[in-house]
Amino acid sequence: MKVKVDKTVLASVVLHVLVLGAVLLSFSTRALEVRPEDSVGVDISLETQVAAGMKTGKKEQKKPLVEKVAEAKPVEDAVGKIEEKKPPVVTEAAPKPQPKVEEKPVEKKPDPPKVAEKPKEEPQPVEKKPEPAVDPIAEAIKKEEKKPTPPKPPAQAAKPPEPQKPKERVFDQSKIAALIDKRDPSRQAVTGETLNSNASLGLSKGRASDNSATWGAMFRRQVENCWKKPYGGIEQERPEVAFNIRLKKDGKLEAMPVPDGAPPTGYARAYSESALRAIIQCQPYNLPAAYFEEWKAFTPVFQERPL
Amino acid sequence: MTDQNKLRETLLLPNRRQIISGMAALGATAAVSPRAALAQKRVPITEGDFAPLPIAIPNFVAGTQSDGEVAVGVTQVITNNLRRSGLFAPIDQAAYIEKNINVDLAPNFQNWKTINAQALVTGRMTRQGDGRLKAEFRLWDVNTAQQLSGQQYFTTPESWRRIAHIISDQIYERVTGEKGYFDSRVVFVDETGSKERRVKRLALMDQDGANVRYLTRGSDLVLTPRFSPSSQEITYMEFGQGDPRVYLFNIETGQREIVGNFPGMSFAPRFSPDGQRVIMSLQQGGNSNLFVMDLRSKTTTRLTDTPAIDTSPSYAPDGSRLCFESDRGGRPQIYVMPANGGAAQRISFGEGSYSTPVWSPRGDYIAFTKQGGGQFAIGIMKTDGSGERILTSGYHNEGPTFAPNGRVVMFFREPGGNSGPSLFTVDVSGRNEQRVPTPGFASDPAWSPLLS
Repeated sequence: MKVKVDKTVLASVVLHVLVLGAVLLSFSTRALEVRPEDSVGVDISLETQVAAGMKTGKKEQKKPLVEKVAEAKPVEDAVGKIEEKKPPVVTEAAPKPQPKVEEKPVEKKPDPPKVAEKPKEEPQPVEKKPEPAVDPIAEAIKKEEKKPTPPKPPAQAAKPPEPQKPKERVFDQSKIAALIDKRDPSRQAVTGETLNSNASLGLSKGRASDNSATWGAMFRRQVENCWKKPYGGIEQERPEVAFNIRLKKDGKLEAMPVPDGAPPTGYARAYSESALRAIIQCQPYNLPAAYFEEWKAFTPVFQERPL
Repeated sequence: MTDQNKLRETLLLPNRRQIISGMAALGATAAVSPRAALAQKRVPITEGDFAPLPIAIPNFVAGTQSDGEVAVGVTQVITNNLRRSGLFAPIDQAAYIEKNINVDLAPNFQNWKTINAQALVTGRMTRQGDGRLKAEFRLWDVNTAQQLSGQQYFTTPESWRRIAHIISDQIYERVTGEKGYFDSRVVFVDETGSKERRVKRLALMDQDGANVRYLTRGSDLVLTPRFSPSSQEITYMEFGQGDPRVYLFNIETGQREIVGNFPGMSFAPRFSPDGQRVIMSLQQGGNSNLFVMDLRSKTTTRLTDTPAIDTSPSYAPDGSRLCFESDRGGRPQIYVMPANGGAAQRISFGEGSYSTPVWSPRGDYIAFTKQGGGQFAIGIMKTDGSGERILTSGYHNEGPTFAPNGRVVMFFREPGGNSGPSLFTVDVSGRNEQRVPTPGFASDPAWSPLLS
């Protein structure tokens, strides 16, 4: 009897391992990883807080790093997190030539309003200020930021050092907020950016988290505006074409999209080419920086509405 | 449950290390090849924007000094065709940045991206030493910087419009995946004069309204011209002194022959898909029934035998079935029947009466005239009767005919009052209604198959 119990327990254990191994990726790891992230984040932030206090202006030198993040729409992060600057966190961003950076925030201007509307993101009224002209380089940005600022007076009020800070804050927000924010399980995506701090914890690169409902809907909305979808009979064939795409942080394609599946012919080829045109035409895509690890490589599937 | 939890926890700790190291390895490979990521998220995209594709069509280059006029003419015909299809939006030439096109080289795509062109057509017309006209074109995808299509044609100088239609079809097919319809003709009844003394002549034109020529003099009433699917022939009815006669007219040779004297015929016959037979409805007493006649042997076979009015038959493109109009159930409705006769199945069930059914060359739809609520509508439905869609509705719309690719329907519309009918086209999705230019009033259109 005992032998029997052992065998059944073994079998049960093996089966559990198989099932839970898969479950592990989506459930338990996320829960587990939250805690260590928090602790790490808090530690660092405390240091930076003590060092920087409310004066994010000191972070000027981080701008190159920050700016990278800024493009990703700080919108997602709550206002309160702005103070916490994490220089170590930021370090992953290589020093970027300022002019280059400016361009990106400038072009992002139209996006923030769009993004800010999304209810899915954390309250982002603050985001409006993004590219402040604080930096000597950012005269152009200054103009931009003035425009978005009016709509978000409350957000502005929260941060006294707004003029200078906005830029940094925006940058930091995404990182810091992601680290601190307990409610956002996708934090791992952000921690992906801060590899150096968290690598030792062996956290997954956000693979376990799935915020595609958020960024997927954003991508979908944008590309659907561009997709000149064939109609007039072809829909009866119910074609389906998919592309593997890789995006950069600024929302532009890293490379030409790769068709997923056999090369189509006839109707399906026209469908496929129209989809490819839409993907290329619609860049840069405005997607939340916090989930970059998720949307840097994914597969949009163009198809008819399900019956 | 608790046992399971305990088990899970005990199992997790050692497993997690393995999994994490495995995932670290995965992460490394994922950085290199995105496809390695098991979790490559699939995001469904199901809606689109029905706006037409912006396309740039600069004037074709003149290969020799004297080709300037024909080059511009070809460009205009192509631009007009693509615009009228509703699927392309040709960009105004005034906006082009690039002024000098070199047909033999890849274009500077940035210049075209700047004006938001997604496709570009370049071409050249060159008169050859032997008198022929050479036409070349290339179709480019601006976003992917690829050539999508490129062709070269030789023809007589007088046929430059046909070349333009053929090139239009090539562009249309390559981009939409559907067969084109620009290289085709329409035969219709041209109407002139006041409403009381209308003169009706048979007329033939290119589908874009060009090259109109009259096939009859107008002394006798002509009705319902119909195109053969396989040859450049048409049938039509002419009312002379006696009963209506059905004529077979060869467009290319101009020869005309009488198919027969058919007392009591109301519609001209339609051809079978192989062009060897015609199907017609003959009136006997108060009824009307369907008959098939072999064009060579002139033998006639009866298909229906009902005390009702069965009329206006139309074959499916594969010749296996046909649709027709019958009031055997009370009001005129559409029925589908095997080509050799047999049980007819009703497929129209909406409010109103259905008439003049015509089967699409693509085989997927049947177009019809629907009358009800004081309005005449043109609609389509699937061949089993489902998916009924009204394309247009108004005082008087009648007589649908399909383009060779089954995508566009032409019909005639009368606005009422002292005015006269005109021809219109509409896409099978109900979009892009366009008026077809004709010299005078026009009715009873019939669309030819592709000429090439």
